Amino acid sequence: MVMRNRAAWLPWALPAIVLVTVFFVAPFLLNVRFAFSSWTSFRAEITWNGLENVRTLIDQDLLANAVTVTVLYAILCMAIQNTVSLSLALALQRTNRLNTIFRSAFFLPTLISPLAAGYIWRGLLAPDGAVNSFLGIEWAWLGEPSTALVTVAFIDAWKWSGLITLVYIAGLNSIPKSLLESATVDGAGPWTRFRRVVFPMLAPALTFNVAVTLVGALSAYDVIAATTGGGPGDHTRALNVVMRQQWGQGFFGSASALGFTVTLLVIATAVPLVWWLRRREVTG
Amino acid sequence: MSAPSRMLGAAIGAALALSLSGCGSSAPEGTDQVKLTLWHNSADPAPLLEMYKKFEKQSGHRIELVSIPSDGFEDTTQTKWATGERPDILEYHATVSGLLALNPAQNLRDLTGEGYIARSGDLYQNAGAVNGKVYAAITGFPQVFGLYYNKKVFTSAGLTPPTNFAELSAACPKLKAAGVTPVFESGGSIWPVQILPILYLAGANQSNAYGKAISGHTSTLADPGSPFVAGLTAYAKLKADGCFNKDIVTAKFEDSMKALVTGKAAMVAQHSDMLPALLAAAGGDQKTVDDSVGFVGLSSDKPLVTYAPGPIGTFYLPKTGDAAREKAALDFVRFMTGPAYNEYITASKTFPVFKDVPNPQGVSSVLQDVKKAYDTGAVIAFNSDIPGMGGLAQLMSELIAGQKDPQKAATQLQGQVEQAAKAAGLPGW
Repeated sequence: MVMRNRAAWLPWALPAIVLVTVFFVAPFLLNVRFAFSSWTSFRAEITWNGLENVRTLIDQDLLANAVTVTVLYAILCMAIQNTVSLSLALALQRTNRLNTIFRSAFFLPTLISPLAAGYIWRGLLAPDGAVNSFLGIEWAWLGEPSTALVTVAFIDAWKWSGLITLVYIAGLNSIPKSLLESATVDGAGPWTRFRRVVFPMLAPALTFNVAVTLVGALSAYDVIAATTGGGPGDHTRALNVVMRQQWGQGFFGSASALGFTVTLLVIATAVPLVWWLRRREVTG
Repeated sequence: MSAPSRMLGAAIGAALALSLSGCGSSAPEGTDQVKLTLWHNSADPAPLLEMYKKFEKQSGHRIELVSIPSDGFEDTTQTKWATGERPDILEYHATVSGLLALNPAQNLRDLTGEGYIARSGDLYQNAGAVNGKVYAAITGFPQVFGLYYNKKVFTSAGLTPPTNFAELSAACPKLKAAGVTPVFESGGSIWPVQILPILYLAGANQSNAYGKAISGHTSTLADPGSPFVAGLTAYAKLKADGCFNKDIVTAKFEDSMKALVTGKAAMVAQHSDMLPALLAAAGGDQKTVDDSVGFVGLSSDKPLVTYAPGPIGTFYLPKTGDAAREKAALDFVRFMTGPAYNEYITASKTFPVFKDVPNPQGVSSVLQDVKKAYDTGAVIAFNSDIPGMGGLAQLMSELIAGQKDPQKAATQLQGQVEQAAKAAGLPGW
């Protein structure tokens, strides 16, 4: 019976398996060796050098800070995007003309290039920019160590929240109305309905959104490059920013090691997280 | 076949025949018209871009320009280069450190023996050549690094522009008291903040002595009391004394040019290839620039300018394996360094690198200041021959943010130099 079922799904899964193998698994396996190689722009020979690249990155104080910045940035992005998006989804759940306009407006930034979004916000957040003029203060949002990382995370949230909101709205609309009506009849107020019915029923949407925002932010580059370039100092120098800097200096082996670190970080955080959230879907 | 189909077939046939015969091109007889890809710096001035068009017209070849943004120029070029992609002509730095990163023996064509080299004096002693082989065709006057200053600001403050760091430090409080930012630094563009420490080192690098000691591994950047640590310390003191603009971390180099022209800032450390940006900041009004901006040399203890062969007008010919395109690319180099060069110098109003080409007429007063400072005392940038110095700008960001002290920054940079020098197989490492 099991064999028959496998035979039945295999033709349908085959295109996806081929695509993932050709475009993700194979390039990853073919490239991972460069993380352990002496590849530079200075010479043609590429030799195996074990963990030398990692040692170099540690010796130069680059790796630990980049990992810390990346993880902090990912947590910030995930928290801000999901909080903002869930709030927006609750506000815009009903389909009517006004909400459709707002949904479109919030979705628009998703269509803008991340680099363009970064450049626009850099101008707006400059010490003499529009945001400070409006607030009547003078503050280098992207230039002060205390606010740079959080500000970039907010820009990332502005960019992607529209998309995450749509997923939450789809999740909200899939909750049976009868369930909410029963809870109301049982005397549950709005907060209790949200806490005891809506939020648990949103588990699949939450799993998707948390995973997407976290993995996306762990591999962040474009918004950071366009806003701070990794500064001030190394306060927003995430792994991919350091990777680009190493690459730009011709240290391709070290850059590959940083790329490999990003992959490990994604696997080490996203896989257990998704596993836990999926388990919550079943038991919750 | 129907009549319309026959007509369509005839039209396509005629179009094909025309395109195959090269109708409309001005290729000299017996020359195959080819398309040459040229990776060029987006800051190429208009007269240089005009030269590319003139070459197309004269040769019949077509040049496809691939513009590399001048902000992050080295990173972007290296990234494209690393993919294995090769243009027919590459505009890039002529410094030995820049050249080493291209792995020239493997990737570039040897231009030793070309006629322009003998006409360039001793230019290729310090640039565009590795292990006795010349790979570059340098047509642009070296980038001359020094201090741009606002004449009116200095006149009204009763000061003369500083030519050493002690004078610079002394001028700061007086200029601040006059309500002017003494030195405008643009950390938002990252690379400009490394200029002042490099200027400081000119005193220690006469005849490239310090650069050779570092690249030859007889000294290190992090040696106690080294000139490099002293340069970073002098920079940190200027920052602590409030000599820089408040938005040093976010300001872009375009902001620095504007602040200088408008008199909001008294000085900007920059190089001579940024004159077009200065002109743009003045709304294209050369008179405004000439009236308000001057240029002097600055080092730790004497009036020296620092020079480095720049990327603008420096061409390399990567090996592509296509004989027709390689021939056309060599024709391009011969065109740029041949009789047409006089036209370029006249149009660009810059100084020539070939001894047999006269200086142009109508050179702006700022550029005359640059040339005067260069002729008075010029020292090659200490980092020109040292590979792995690309991380200096990032370390300066950390120094400005107070995350690293000069000694720690020097130690980290020395590690990067070691990494690159070993990879490049330099003797002594």
